Amino acid sequence: MIYNAEDWARLRNAVFAVSLVAWVVILLEPRASACCAVNAAGVSWTVLLAAHPPASLAGNWALMLIAMMAPMLVAPIYHIRISSFARRRARSTMLFAAGYGTVWMVAGIVIVAVELIAAWRMPGSYLPATIVGLTAVLWQASPFKQRCLNRCHSHRPLAAFGFAADLDVFRFGLEQGLWCTASCWAAMLFPMLLPEAHFTAMAAVAILMFCERLDPPREPRWRWRGFGTAARSLSLRLRGPQRDPAPLTAVS
Amino acid sequence: MATYTRNNAWNKGGNLTNPDLLWYAKGVGKMMSRALNDPASWWFYAAIHGEYVTPANIQPAFPGWKFIKAPPTVPTSPLPTKAAQDLYWNQCQHQSWFFPPWHRGYLMALEAQLRQDIVSLGGPATWALPYWNYFGGTNGSQYQMPPAFAAKKLPDNSPNPLFVNMRYGPDGNGNIFIPTPAGEAAHPGDPNFSRGQVNANYMSNDLYTGHDQVTKLPGFGGPETLFHHGGGTSGNWEGNPHNLVHVYVGYYGAVTAPLYGLMSDPGTAGLDPIFYLHHANIDRMWAIWNANGNANPTKSGWLKGPTTRKFVMPGTNGQPWYYTPDQMKDLAKLNYSYQELKSPPAPKAAGLPKRLALLGAKDAAAAAKKAPATPAKPKVTELLGASARPLKISGRVSKAAVKLDAGVRRKTTRSLAMAAKTAAPDNVYIKVENVRGTFDATVLSVYLDLPEGAKPGESRQYLAGNIALFGLRRASMKDGQHAGEGLTFILDATPVIDQLHLKNEFDVESLQVSVIPADPLPENADITVGRISIYREGF
Repeated sequence: MIYNAEDWARLRNAVFAVSLVAWVVILLEPRASACCAVNAAGVSWTVLLAAHPPASLAGNWALMLIAMMAPMLVAPIYHIRISSFARRRARSTMLFAAGYGTVWMVAGIVIVAVELIAAWRMPGSYLPATIVGLTAVLWQASPFKQRCLNRCHSHRPLAAFGFAADLDVFRFGLEQGLWCTASCWAAMLFPMLLPEAHFTAMAAVAILMFCERLDPPREPRWRWRGFGTAARSLSLRLRGPQRDPAPLTAVS
Repeated sequence: MATYTRNNAWNKGGNLTNPDLLWYAKGVGKMMSRALNDPASWWFYAAIHGEYVTPANIQPAFPGWKFIKAPPTVPTSPLPTKAAQDLYWNQCQHQSWFFPPWHRGYLMALEAQLRQDIVSLGGPATWALPYWNYFGGTNGSQYQMPPAFAAKKLPDNSPNPLFVNMRYGPDGNGNIFIPTPAGEAAHPGDPNFSRGQVNANYMSNDLYTGHDQVTKLPGFGGPETLFHHGGGTSGNWEGNPHNLVHVYVGYYGAVTAPLYGLMSDPGTAGLDPIFYLHHANIDRMWAIWNANGNANPTKSGWLKGPTTRKFVMPGTNGQPWYYTPDQMKDLAKLNYSYQELKSPPAPKAAGLPKRLALLGAKDAAAAAKKAPATPAKPKVTELLGASARPLKISGRVSKAAVKLDAGVRRKTTRSLAMAAKTAAPDNVYIKVENVRGTFDATVLSVYLDLPEGAKPGESRQYLAGNIALFGLRRASMKDGQHAGEGLTFILDATPVIDQLHLKNEFDVESLQVSVIPADPLPENADITVGRISIYREGF
């Protein structure tokens, strides 16, 4: 009905497990990762496309999405689960994922195309990654990014019965996908353009995007976002739990 | 013996012969004399709670502080540095389990500043904020605002800083009273008192966060959140009395624009000196709830406070004072006490035995009465029905059909019919979701299957609950701290459903929910409910 810590933890663990499986597949089979699949040095377009058929690229892109984006979907999926009849929860979640995934798959056509072109025209060059990396940093600090993040935190009321319910969750998935793509496009493109250290960059971007979602919505303006929460989380992991705060003596 | 004791504001008749109130007025006056950007100013403290003075918070539908009709004359410049705004302002915790401890720290910090000013004016070094206990007095007679706040002048004939122009009260005429049960009893037949009632019923809750057969969702103190400036679902005791008192005190007068009483909106409430007496009482009730043996959360997420933004107040030494809920949880350790730390007139929950007896399970009721068990926790919570489309709240009454799912409804019907055997009938809740808009200054009564022509004040058997829209416009700002999701309310519809079940009126395709404002809404009042749903809880 409303947020419940135990239910949330169960859902979060399930979603994280799905993400983890995708990460393991990528780590075990590097060719399955979209950002590592392209080696285009000195080949023609025809050879390039023959070596990387669209279906394989799409599959790799989807795998990367599952690994990196799934942890950010806990909140909207939780919203769907508490807003739906028990018997419809799985179906509604799948429809949401379909809507969300559709947007990212369409965006993937552009992103993977950029990756291919960069790999084809400037194989082994850090220039494309540097340009996109700087753009991503600029985007990360911009008020436009904050506006997108704010919309990602917004969860529409959902119809409960019949086709209207199906349509509503699919639309909800489309909306979340649109705002998520608008928020994360540059950060997602960056690791794909790196000639090496893809996994490290992917993991860093995934952590940053997850952490920025932990921050509450706020006024759109120029500021660094995500890094503070990421640093605090990392610090907690490294230092362990903090000691109890000092007792209050007086408000002075 | 605590150094600081907060006393009842109604001592000495609640007027300016009460030294606590007179010194409060003088201290407030001194704080009001400072500039907006001074952390020791009244305006700065109000902005810590919430403000409409920075560009981010001023939008077409949200009148800024510059529209406030004096007194007080509220400054809108000079703004403090961005860093100071980010550190201190717009911090209040609502619809959150941090609501009680954040406000306790807020009161203490303001009090320290006031005390310093009061001492500088020759006042007592042990001065503490008085509280307004609207449930207090002989036969609950203190539901009226202490008269000191309605006086325009102090005894020395200077303007009274406690007097506020935009404080309209439930009648919209500046007569400030709280429609408590005692107020209603003293004014039989007066519709102004039979509107959505303010009561202390949730003092009988036994869970801070969570629910069982005694405590309804989301629990006495509020739902588990991170740093949460508002939006979502209030804790039970935050909802009633806290939110209702805010709205009834502020309310609205002859409204031509969304300019209503200061107390009705968290972004203006801290400007009204009555705010802090209301919150002293809310804080007192939390202390009583603890003194009655009820426990605060023990999770580190609550004890240590949010990690994304820490609770911080300006100290009187000019340095930020950071605090955690862990430090706030025990009033005695803070060197504070209250004149009265007793329960208000025992509002007891109806309880399971009474309910079982009503459902015809007499043996089970007798057994439950004889050996009261630890309140059971629900095993399953699931959606039972929902409205199909958003509902615009306007005028006198707005209605929505909530279609029920036949399969889930059968589970509840069976559990009610089997109460004698299981002694654990379902609970049923109404969830009023995603309430958005710009008109905070009203209280909505939510009825289930209210018969045509029934008078709301005389039809409480159909009443699921009263909701105050305190915080609505802030929670509806798309780029606000709740992404414009609005407010959500959970109302316990179990007693109404029991009655419908006994009359064989629950086994139907849909139920009608009627939403009735305490007063007909002004034409420009903008309020929309995203969805109304009904949930069952099975034990």
